[in-house]
Amino acid sequence: MVDATTTKAAKEDDDTGASTLSVHLQELREVLTGGIPGATASEHRGELTITVDPVTLTAALQFARDDAATQCELLSDISAVHWPGGVMPVDVEETTGWPTYTEERDEGSIEVNYILRSVAKNHWFRIRVSLPDDDPTVASATGIYSSANFMEREAYDLMGVEFTGHPNLTRIMMPDDWNGHPHRKDYPLGGVEVMYKGETIPPPDERDY
Amino acid sequence: MTTTSTATLEPVDGEFTVAAPGEWQNLPDAIEDDLMVINMGPQHPSTHGVLRMLLTMDGEVIVDNQPVIGYLHTGIEKNAEYRPWVQGVTFVTRMDYLAPLHNELAYCLAVEKLLGISDQIPERAQAIRVILTEINRITSHQVALATGGMEMGALSAMIYGFREREDLLDILEFVTGLRMNHAFIRPGGLAQDVPETFIERVSEVIDALPGKIDELEDLLTQNPIWLERNSGVGVLTREQCLDLGVTGPVLRSTGLAHDLRKSQPYCGIEQYDFEVPTVDTCDGYGRFLIRIAEMRESIKIVQQALKVLPGGPVMVADKKIAWPAQLALGPDGLGNAKEYIGKIMGQSMEALIHHFKLVTEGFEVPKGQVYQAVESPRGELGYAMTSSGTNKPYRVRVREPSFIHIGTIPSVTRGLQIADVIAAVASLDPVMGGVDR
Repeated sequence: MVDATTTKAAKEDDDTGASTLSVHLQELREVLTGGIPGATASEHRGELTITVDPVTLTAALQFARDDAATQCELLSDISAVHWPGGVMPVDVEETTGWPTYTEERDEGSIEVNYILRSVAKNHWFRIRVSLPDDDPTVASATGIYSSANFMEREAYDLMGVEFTGHPNLTRIMMPDDWNGHPHRKDYPLGGVEVMYKGETIPPPDERDY
Repeated sequence: MTTTSTATLEPVDGEFTVAAPGEWQNLPDAIEDDLMVINMGPQHPSTHGVLRMLLTMDGEVIVDNQPVIGYLHTGIEKNAEYRPWVQGVTFVTRMDYLAPLHNELAYCLAVEKLLGISDQIPERAQAIRVILTEINRITSHQVALATGGMEMGALSAMIYGFREREDLLDILEFVTGLRMNHAFIRPGGLAQDVPETFIERVSEVIDALPGKIDELEDLLTQNPIWLERNSGVGVLTREQCLDLGVTGPVLRSTGLAHDLRKSQPYCGIEQYDFEVPTVDTCDGYGRFLIRIAEMRESIKIVQQALKVLPGGPVMVADKKIAWPAQLALGPDGLGNAKEYIGKIMGQSMEALIHHFKLVTEGFEVPKGQVYQAVESPRGELGYAMTSSGTNKPYRVRVREPSFIHIGTIPSVTRGLQIADVIAAVASLDPVMGGVDR
C-alpha cells in the first residue's frame, strides 16, 4: 500500500522540471524502477528515492544488493519518520514549541527509509516504504544485510516499527520496561512521567518541589 | 531496602528480567552446555564509556557476546525537533564527544542541502571547516590510540597521546572558544571568522606534530606486547565488514580504500592532495597502523589548506539565513560589536526587527528529506534530515558509525578470550556518546 500523500509529494518533486540527478543516478533510476515491481522514483536535492510497496521491500533490497548495476554492498542506515494523521495532535501552547505541522493527512503513516550505498560503483540511494502508523509492520532486512539488526531494533524501540523475522526485536536504547515509542510525534518531549523500575517522577510542570 | 529489592526482582510477564528479556532468551542454555555467563560493564575501565557486555564462556573461550547499550541515551534526536535549526548544532556537537566538529559539519551540510544553498557557502568557510575537522580527526585518533594503549597496559602511550591532543585542543579553543562542544560550524558557514594569528598558531603546532607522532609510533609499532595483543585480534574480513555496515578505519584495515572524502567529497576537500591508507591485516594492529597513517594525512591536508586559505566572508551572503552578528571582543567578553548594537538599537528599526525575528524564530527550511554523510574518524557519519517547511527540524536521524560498530561485537569477539575482548573493542574505537545519542 503506497500512502496517498507520499505519492503526491513524489509527483510534486518530479514536476519541478529538469532532473537534479547526476547522469549516473538517472541511469540507476531506470534500472531500479525496471527491476523492482511497483517501484516509483522521486528526487529531491539531487538525491534518488525509490518508493516501494511494503510487501516488495525484501525483493527490492535483494535486487539492490545483487544486481550488477546497483551492487549496494552497504546498508548504511535505516531511519523512520512519523507523520501522524489529522491535524497536529499536540497543542502548540501546551508544549514548548512543537514544530508547526500544517500538513493535514487522512491517515497517519510511518515512513521507513533505507540508505543503500555501493562502494564499488560509488553511488547511494534511498528505498522508502510507507506504513500505517497504527500497525507499522514490514519484513526484516536482517536476512539480506546483517547491519539491519541493530538499526531495526532502534527503529522498533523509538518508533514502534515491527520488523517481522527479526531474530531479536527488543528495546535497545530505552529500558526494557519502558512504555511507548519516544520518537513518535504523539509522544511529546517532556510532559510524560519518567518511570524506571517502579519509581515514577512526575513531569516538570506537575512537581510541587 | 527490602521492598526496593523485591520490586526490582519482580517478574515481568512471568519472566525474570535479569538481562533484557530478548537477550536472555537468546543466550545459549548455560547449564545444559556447561557454559558460564559473565557480565562485563556497564561500569568498567576498558569499555569506552558505559557499555555492558554479556559474555557466554566455554571455559576461557567466548561462545557468545551480546552488547547492551542505551546507558547514555539522551534523546538528542528528539530534542532537536523542538529547537530552531541553528540550535541543533549545539545538540549534535554533544553526541560523539571525540568528533564534535564532524557532527556539526554533517548537520550543517544537511541543513544547507535542504535549503539548497550548498554551492553558496564561502570558500573561506569551507577551507576552515576542512582544517578544523582534520585537526579533530587527529585528536580523535590520538584518544583512540591513547586509551587503547592504556587498556593494554601501555600507560606511556596514554600519556603521550593525551599530551599531544592537548596542544590541538588548545588550537580548537583558540579558534572556537571551547575545547569540545564547539558549536562553531553553523548552517551557512561559521559562527565567526578565525583569529588573526590563526595560520601561524596552527602551523606551529601542526608542523611539530609529525615528530610527536613518531614518538608514539616508536612506543607502540614494534612493541612486542602491543603486537601480540593486537595482531589477529578483532578480525573482520572485508565481506563481514560490508555485511555489517562497517566503515572507516575498520573497513580500510581490510584493504578497501573506501573514504567518503574521496568518493563523495564535501567542503572542497577534493582539491587537497592526500592518500587513503589501507592495510590488509583485517585486525586490531592494522587499524592502529591506519590511524597513525591517517593522522599524517590529516596533517598534510591542514598544511595545504593553511597555505591556500582564501580570504572573504565566512557566512553565506543570504541575510535571511546568515546569523545577524558582528562579534567583537569587549571588556565583558565576546559579544556583538558596539557599532552593530548602535545601528540596530538607534538607527534602523528594520535591522532590529530582522535581528529579532532571525534570533528568536530562526529561518524556515523548505519541505524535503536529505541524507548527508561525512567521513568521521570512525567512519560514515550520516544525517537523515526531514523538514516539514518550518523553522524547526521535523526529524533528525543520525547514522552513527560507533552504533553500527557496536553491533559487530558478537562477530568480532566470538572465539576470543576475555582479555582479547578489550583489545578488540578498543580497535573498533566506539564512542558511547555517539552510540546512544
